[in-house]
Amino acid sequence: MRDHAGLTGAKEVCDRGTCGACTVLLDGEPVYACMMLAIQAQGREITTVEGLARNGNLTALQEAFVDKDASMCGYCTPGFVMSLTALLRRNPHPTPADIHHACAGNLCRCGTQPRIVQAALQASGVEVLSRTEVISYAHLA
Amino acid sequence: MPTWPEKRSVLGRRVRRADGPLKVTGAAKYTSDVQPAGCLYGMILRSKWPAARVTGIDLSEAVRSPGIKAAILVRDGERRVRYYGEELAAVAGTTKQACLDALRKITVRAQPLPFVVKEADGIQPDAPRVWDEAPNLSKPQVTERGQVDQAFAEAEVVVEGTYSTQVEIHHCLESHGNAAAWDGDELTVWSSTQGVFSVREGLAGNLGVDQSKVRVISEFMGGGFGSKFGPGVEGAIVARLAKQANAPVKLMLSRFEESLAVGNRPSSIQKVRLGATRAGKLVAYELDSYGTAGVGSGAATEGGGGGAEFPAPYIYTIPNTRVQHRGVALNAGAARAFRAPGHPQASFGIESILDELAVKLGLDPVELRLLNDPSEIRQREYRLGRDRFGWREKYRLPGSSPGPVKVGVGCAGATWGGGGGGTRAQAQINPDGSVEIRCGTQDLGTGTRTVMAMVAAEVFGLPPEAIRARLGDTAYPPSGGSGGSTTAASVSPAVYDACEKALAELQQQTGLEDVRGENWKPACRRLGLEPLVVSGQWQKGLSSSGVGGVQFAEVEVDTETGLVRVRKITCVQDCGLIVSRLTCESQVNGGIIMGIGYALYEDRVMDAGTGVVLNPNLETYKLPGIADIPEIDIVLVDMPERGVIGIGEPVTIPTASAIANAVANALGVRISSLPITPDKVLAALGQVKELTA
Amino acid sequence: MKESIAEPGILVNLRSIPGLDQIEPGDAQWVLGAGVTVAQIEDHAGLRRAFPGLHEAAAEVASRQIRNVATLGGNLAQHSRCWYYRHRDIYCLKKGGDTCHAREGENKFHSIFSGNPCISPMVSSLAVILTALDATVVVQREGETVTLTMTDLYQRAWDNPTLHHSLDRSDLILRVEVPTRWSRSAYLQVAEKAAFDWATVSCAAAVRVADGRIQEGRVVLGSVAPVPYQVAAANRLLQGQTWSDALGGSVAERLLRDATPFAHNGHKVPIARALIQRALRHVS
Ligand SMILES: Cc1cc2nc3c(=O)[nH]c(=O)nc-3n(C[C@H](O)[C@H](O)[C@H](O)COP(=O)(O)OP(=O)(O)OC[C@H]3O[C@@H](n4cnc5c(N)ncnc54)[C@H](O)[C@@H]3O)c2cc1C
Ligand code: SF4
Ligand code: FES
Ligand code: FES
Repeated sequence: MRDHAGLTGAKEVCDRGTCGACTVLLDGEPVYACMMLAIQAQGREITTVEGLARNGNLTALQEAFVDKDASMCGYCTPGFVMSLTALLRRNPHPTPADIHHACAGNLCRCGTQPRIVQAALQASGVEVLSRTEVISYAHLA
Repeated sequence: MPTWPEKRSVLGRRVRRADGPLKVTGAAKYTSDVQPAGCLYGMILRSKWPAARVTGIDLSEAVRSPGIKAAILVRDGERRVRYYGEELAAVAGTTKQACLDALRKITVRAQPLPFVVKEADGIQPDAPRVWDEAPNLSKPQVTERGQVDQAFAEAEVVVEGTYSTQVEIHHCLESHGNAAAWDGDELTVWSSTQGVFSVREGLAGNLGVDQSKVRVISEFMGGGFGSKFGPGVEGAIVARLAKQANAPVKLMLSRFEESLAVGNRPSSIQKVRLGATRAGKLVAYELDSYGTAGVGSGAATEGGGGGAEFPAPYIYTIPNTRVQHRGVALNAGAARAFRAPGHPQASFGIESILDELAVKLGLDPVELRLLNDPSEIRQREYRLGRDRFGWREKYRLPGSSPGPVKVGVGCAGATWGGGGGGTRAQAQINPDGSVEIRCGTQDLGTGTRTVMAMVAAEVFGLPPEAIRARLGDTAYPPSGGSGGSTTAASVSPAVYDACEKALAELQQQTGLEDVRGENWKPACRRLGLEPLVVSGQWQKGLSSSGVGGVQFAEVEVDTETGLVRVRKITCVQDCGLIVSRLTCESQVNGGIIMGIGYALYEDRVMDAGTGVVLNPNLETYKLPGIADIPEIDIVLVDMPERGVIGIGEPVTIPTASAIANAVANALGVRISSLPITPDKVLAALGQVKELTA
Repeated sequence: MKESIAEPGILVNLRSIPGLDQIEPGDAQWVLGAGVTVAQIEDHAGLRRAFPGLHEAAAEVASRQIRNVATLGGNLAQHSRCWYYRHRDIYCLKKGGDTCHAREGENKFHSIFSGNPCISPMVSSLAVILTALDATVVVQREGETVTLTMTDLYQRAWDNPTLHHSLDRSDLILRVEVPTRWSRSAYLQVAEKAAFDWATVSCAAAVRVADGRIQEGRVVLGSVAPVPYQVAAANRLLQGQTWSDALGGSVAERLLRDATPFAHNGHKVPIARALIQRALRHVS
């Protein structure tokens, strides 16, 4: 995928089925590309992160990722996007626990996880407000 | 001195990350994704011995192996290797498999030597020496202030304990690596780096070519955390392979290699003694600490090996202190800078013993800190955080939480320098009104592009989306490495200066008074054919350094299984003028989550018998997963008058200390070594039978 | 294969054998084909009602991405995860070498029961629950079809350090049959991380309850022995009893009586004790 088709969205991070950065959809279900021989995918449909946005329009999930800043370095991002794309198709109204379960196989070293949960909820139509606050030092007497 | 505008319309807002869409669609190209035409793969042969004298390496069969276009020795002649995984030779070939096959055909003649990989073994006088020249345990660096012995003798209370922290591996998700392409005597290198200019300098020096002939590009990079400043051995190798093969070569390290040879956070074993008055005022402090930076203890290393020392007694001012640090060299990969080098270790020791003191004195841990912390900023942060976290309702006497699942709370504070300098930037205003900002900095995922765009947007009265921020290329005006939480504070003032000057120039050239906002396009049109290109540089007055932050943790501990779960972290952190609020908050999340990994999960495990890293993967080197992340409550303290200060590092420092204190509060016994795993919890609770075997 | 532990010249794709990917309900037993994926088991609503413990175990296996490709047969026949065994440059007893490095080394994740010098534990989550459910495994062996109990499936690994299970190289698991006589089943595990982490200890329990009494019960531990670990005498303690914490305590004591932990895995004993109590309390 990466070397011959130039589809470099899916990343190789561990090459051992432990990080999720290489996640693609095989007939709609997330799998680790690094744990699958090309021949095993023969005759089946593979969707990579490049195949989600249509005519430059991001999917609702991708939009939510940008809105909620659910990517930092971005190296894990395609994998999370694929795991959650599959989840939302299976379950359009996931709970935070469902989101955790669906993304258990994706690691992020930068620490985007809280915002990934928010993005997934937002994409499912739940408005998530940040509780983060900025307080001026002067008011901190 | 320039100052930031009093009224800011863009700065401090939550603006979408400039490169967000590229990242969520897979369009962002990282070094690992770059594939110049005809690109070969590079791969490194590493030592299988933790220590050995290498007398010969035979590449002849590898050279003849199918698909192999280059094969080199990392160093000529006889040599010593000092850790499992040290670089010996490298090949470049048309496929990964060709390289793997060729590596197996390289024969290495070596005489294995005795080795030592555990701190406790390394300090023994009869341990095998990592460096012939000196014993593994370095001479102590001792600093003493006041009358320590007398102060301890007179102290009304004295507590002591030993606290230890593990070796932590950076594990940036994009591994270390580069792609190199020569064009005659000019070299272009795509590098996953925190410093395009430092990589250029390193490579040029290493290869003996002029810096002007080396161009380094790092448009997107997948994390560094301190481990990616120089080109590393692997950077020099890929350039040499490309030269020999006369073709571009890409060499990305595997996860296995990431675990061995490209840096880590040194461990620490800290014996601490603390004396105080009955009221809780600290009067005496003594630290005797040692830790390992691997082979980096006792040697200058590639990539900026760090030592195992750290600031002590950290953020507290104690009149009488004696501090002794020693490094112990081991046959393991060298340390490198790691997000707030030294500080998490420093924090863990002092904040742990402080809570021991609080217990002994029957004082509330927050009160004890308010009594002793000299920083006015943290004083205020503690008071705010305490209310927000609900400390008074949540704090109970240690171990008094009922039931088998016990709840506890803890807190800790931190400091960090940061600050800016040494950066130039260029603003280009095109006749169609579009704007390009160029700076030879890099975006580690911290949001540098977004920061650049926001600063320019503020000056020009434009929306940030209207600005193209270009970075990660030595073809752009120079900037420093992205480390020490200095990037935002270096880049923002430089961009501001360039934009202010460009604005003035535009006004002057067009003769218009107000060119900002809706007047922008018409004004630019008057430029005619020639874009305006204006340079600026970092200026005093727009940034400063020195931040304080505090964190509170609430945990639950299952006393039957030893499992610790963090329920909540509250963080109150100052960072001067907030430039990009959204990415700033993301940094805080990131620092805290890394701190959770340090507290509960991460640990590089060395095997004494074989000398290897036993968990060179992400399966048994455990990073926190999405289900391990608690509620994180963030308060940013805004101090715009101080200018821009970095935030990436300070927020990771106190997390593990606060969690460890919360665990001790829950249980009534302290787990004094990180990470706090179930085996340690159950042992501390007396549930694990002592083995006599 | 990626760690060069196995370098087969030929790979046979079992997924192309038709009919192995079916889940068939039944009154006396359910039949699960060896090619059924762990995700299929996790998602099957009827299976979940019939064997809640099997659902719970399947949901804890690795991650969704792995469960989507991992098959039941492969899960049961998986090899050791010992970090010495998995290390490319360590040649231990299990690989045909002459020492076990874990015994005197880093054995935090290793067995507390073993009948042989290798202390690498059996870690299949599904094996633990399927043993508790008294499942049988239908295997094609040299042209014949033989039926093994779950105990049979692993027994040879108890005393032979080079084995991971009892299957011969040419044996093929065809299907697993799970009897429906159980009233309740449960699977619990403790791992360092909340998800996607190997169990430190796992525990499955199944009981048949009638007239308010446990007629028959099974408690099985995973990640503590080269086999799914159960003790007949401990199971017998449940027979004819009503639930009490004291009963759970005595089952745990009996089951753990012969534990011989090493320097770094003594914590598996209290964890197992807690899990046995919790699993039994849950099903009773
Ligand atoms: C990171 C990670 C975490 C994991 N965590 C867990 C966990 O928590 N719990 C757990 O139980 N598992 C876990 N696993 C293991 C995973 O479930 C197994 O790898 C998977 O089930 C294997 O299934 P497969 O179909 O891919 O088998 P393969 O990998 O293809 O085969 C595994 C072995 O079984 C043999 N085999 C396969 N099918 C048959 C058959 N029908 N008959 C006879 N032999 C057969 C193969 O020859 C091979 O030796 C984890 C794996 C990884 C990589
Ligand atoms: S426990 Fe078994 S697999 Fe692990 S080192 Fe010992 S012999 Fe090898
Ligand atoms: S690269 Fe495939 S799971 Fe990590
Ligand atoms: S955003 Fe960097 S690893 Fe997730």
